Amino acid sequence: MIKGIMDWVDDRSGIRGLVKEALYEKVPGGARWRYVWGSCLTFVFFTQVVTGTLLWMFYSPSAQTAWESVYYLQYHVAGGWFLRGVHHYMAQAMIVLLVLHLMQVVIDGAYKAPRELNFWFGALMMGVTLALSLTGYLLPWDQKGYWATAVATNLMAEVPLIGPALQKIVVGGAEYGHHTLTRFFALHAGVLPASLVALVVAHIYLFRKHGIHVKEPRPKRDSYFWPDQVLKDAIACSAILLAVVALTIYFRGAPLGPPADPSNEFPARPEWYFLFLFQLLKYVPAFWGAVIIPAFLALWIFLQPFIGKSKGGHQFNVGFWWALIAGSVALTGMAVSEDRANLKHGAAIEEADWQAERVIEIADTQGIPPAGAVTLLRKDSQNQGRRLFAAHCSSCHRYNGHDGRGFPVDEPQSAADLAGFASVEWITDLLNYDHYVSAKYFGGTKFKDGTMARKVLAKYTDDEKKLLPSIAKLLADGANLPYEENLAEDTREELLSLYYNDDLKFEDGRACIECHDIDSEDEGSAPDLTGYGSSEWLTAFIENPEDKRFYGKKNDRMPCYGRDGKLQEKEIAILVDWIRSQAAEF
Amino acid sequence: MSDHSNKEKSKENRRKFIVSSTIAASTACALFPLASGIPSVLDPATKDSGNAEVPWTKVTNLATLPEDGTPTKFEVILEKVKDAWTTYTNIPAGAVYLTRKGDEVTAYNLKCPHLGCAIDYRKNSNDYFCPCHNSTFALDGSVTTDNSPSPRGMDTMDTKVEDGVIWIRFQQFRPNIAEKVPV
Repeated sequence: MIKGIMDWVDDRSGIRGLVKEALYEKVPGGARWRYVWGSCLTFVFFTQVVTGTLLWMFYSPSAQTAWESVYYLQYHVAGGWFLRGVHHYMAQAMIVLLVLHLMQVVIDGAYKAPRELNFWFGALMMGVTLALSLTGYLLPWDQKGYWATAVATNLMAEVPLIGPALQKIVVGGAEYGHHTLTRFFALHAGVLPASLVALVVAHIYLFRKHGIHVKEPRPKRDSYFWPDQVLKDAIACSAILLAVVALTIYFRGAPLGPPADPSNEFPARPEWYFLFLFQLLKYVPAFWGAVIIPAFLALWIFLQPFIGKSKGGHQFNVGFWWALIAGSVALTGMAVSEDRANLKHGAAIEEADWQAERVIEIADTQGIPPAGAVTLLRKDSQNQGRRLFAAHCSSCHRYNGHDGRGFPVDEPQSAADLAGFASVEWITDLLNYDHYVSAKYFGGTKFKDGTMARKVLAKYTDDEKKLLPSIAKLLADGANLPYEENLAEDTREELLSLYYNDDLKFEDGRACIECHDIDSEDEGSAPDLTGYGSSEWLTAFIENPEDKRFYGKKNDRMPCYGRDGKLQEKEIAILVDWIRSQAAEF
Repeated sequence: MSDHSNKEKSKENRRKFIVSSTIAASTACALFPLASGIPSVLDPATKDSGNAEVPWTKVTNLATLPEDGTPTKFEVILEKVKDAWTTYTNIPAGAVYLTRKGDEVTAYNLKCPHLGCAIDYRKNSNDYFCPCHNSTFALDGSVTTDNSPSPRGMDTMDTKVEDGVIWIRFQQFRPNIAEKVPV
């Protein structure tokens, strides 16, 4: 029955002959591991086509839906992370295999006559594969892809005469947006894979026409492609598959950074296999990187089969490729080590990781509005708070020693570190003379030599110092911080009486209350501590520290953000919420 | 002699082993890409949508409905609708015909229970008519012809009137079956 159907099909298609021809190709010198790379690449490309088509069912190319659809696939579709991961790591495997295949061809001299044409086809396919990587990198529309691809498309403008027009055509306009994604997607899922399929067909046809280029000496008797070489190919493909699955599981799929945001800077870095080009652009003008070097390489690849025929030409070719690889490895190493040594780069990566986690947390709980996930981060007070702090406060203040976003600050610290501001711990340290005059608190201000430092904190006896944590508890209670518990009413009364009475006093016999009001109508000479650190207190303070309720004329350089319109009311509110939101890290 | 045949046999075994391992490894490689995406592709079928509590949605005021029971069409604007990754707020999600009998209100889904076309109300004959496959329904939503394409009457849903405001639980139902089963 089955044989009958097969006969019928074969009669009309000649399929048996085709399969026979495909499988019983002669392998002179027997099956060898060095011949597996081409099959591996075909397998990897096949995987990419299949997984890519499946990913297509989930992807939505537009500025408001690209990141969002990928997020949905990654976190809300069964096995979505795995599918993405396989496609992502298989793409990396493809680059590695391309280099291995190329080097095999070069070392074995398989690029020489009569296989020149196929060598050039191979080089073209390499170009298409790199273009696939480049276009695919943008599609998730996260910060990494967005900023890195912007660099790549700006390089395109370096092409003489048509460069700027070419860039606009590829980007779909002057700015990145919907049409950048639709075009990149059409390239990535349509134009480029179709070209690659055509090239693969031509490549395999030419390969079959000339047969395997046999590396001498031949280790064994001649055999056939099936099953000996197919077994070796299948084992190599399985090894790649296992490696990709292992990477996918280990990293829990492909990374997804925070959504692309042109107003939120991110250090553009390409995928690792383009890092050498990235590093090269630090030394050579963009025109060299975008035009001269690629043009030279293209010309050289074209000439290589002819050079190979001359005496010593083959050795030269092999040497050149090794030098190219060594140079790329060295440049990649330099790129990586420069980034590792750069604290700001590390901070930017850490911030992006934080934002990615944050936006996913918000999207999971609140959902994503039609305007896209980037609006979630823009409206998030956690994210905005740290940005406002970095922009407006961090030239003097610090937050956990950094600028609020995690970046080191170049200027010396000249005002207090506000991480954990108004918490029991923060105030306890403040009341310690050594801390008070240190850079972490008032060391950079004129208050370092003020009355509080010299005449109060410096003069406390050991017995008095024992009372300070209680005062800190009382003051912190007024702050009502979300992460600290309020005092019981009677404890508060008890501490308040301590504050009012004479146990803690200047050398001339006055208590805290003499200068700092708390829960009283009087106006002391120092900042009013009623509700110290509370939303109301901090807002009023940031609006106008020169108000007589606070520093008055004694204010030391702190700008009046509200009074002078340096920050909007809404921004101050976000800043206040953020400063008060969490405990210090140290 | 037997030595020779043993050798032949082991050679044949070896070849058999090679062929079967080759077929196994190749098949695994060939199937893997598709297999890696099967759970994701089948994901929508595994997600149950019908069991969620249907929220009450405000449609209109009782006073806007004619007291003689003439159906009036209203858009249903849902407070929150999730479409994959996007959460919409206050978005039109469908339409209903509302009819009034005293203080009682009935809501009929605009969609035909046959195959989901939009049903018209015909003023002249005072009935409902589906312009796709000619199903007709009486004002109470029941099927009016014996060989109606629609297997059941128009889909009603829960309604309530509170302080003169009409609320409904807007729902879609599986088309083309005799029973009313929420989607």
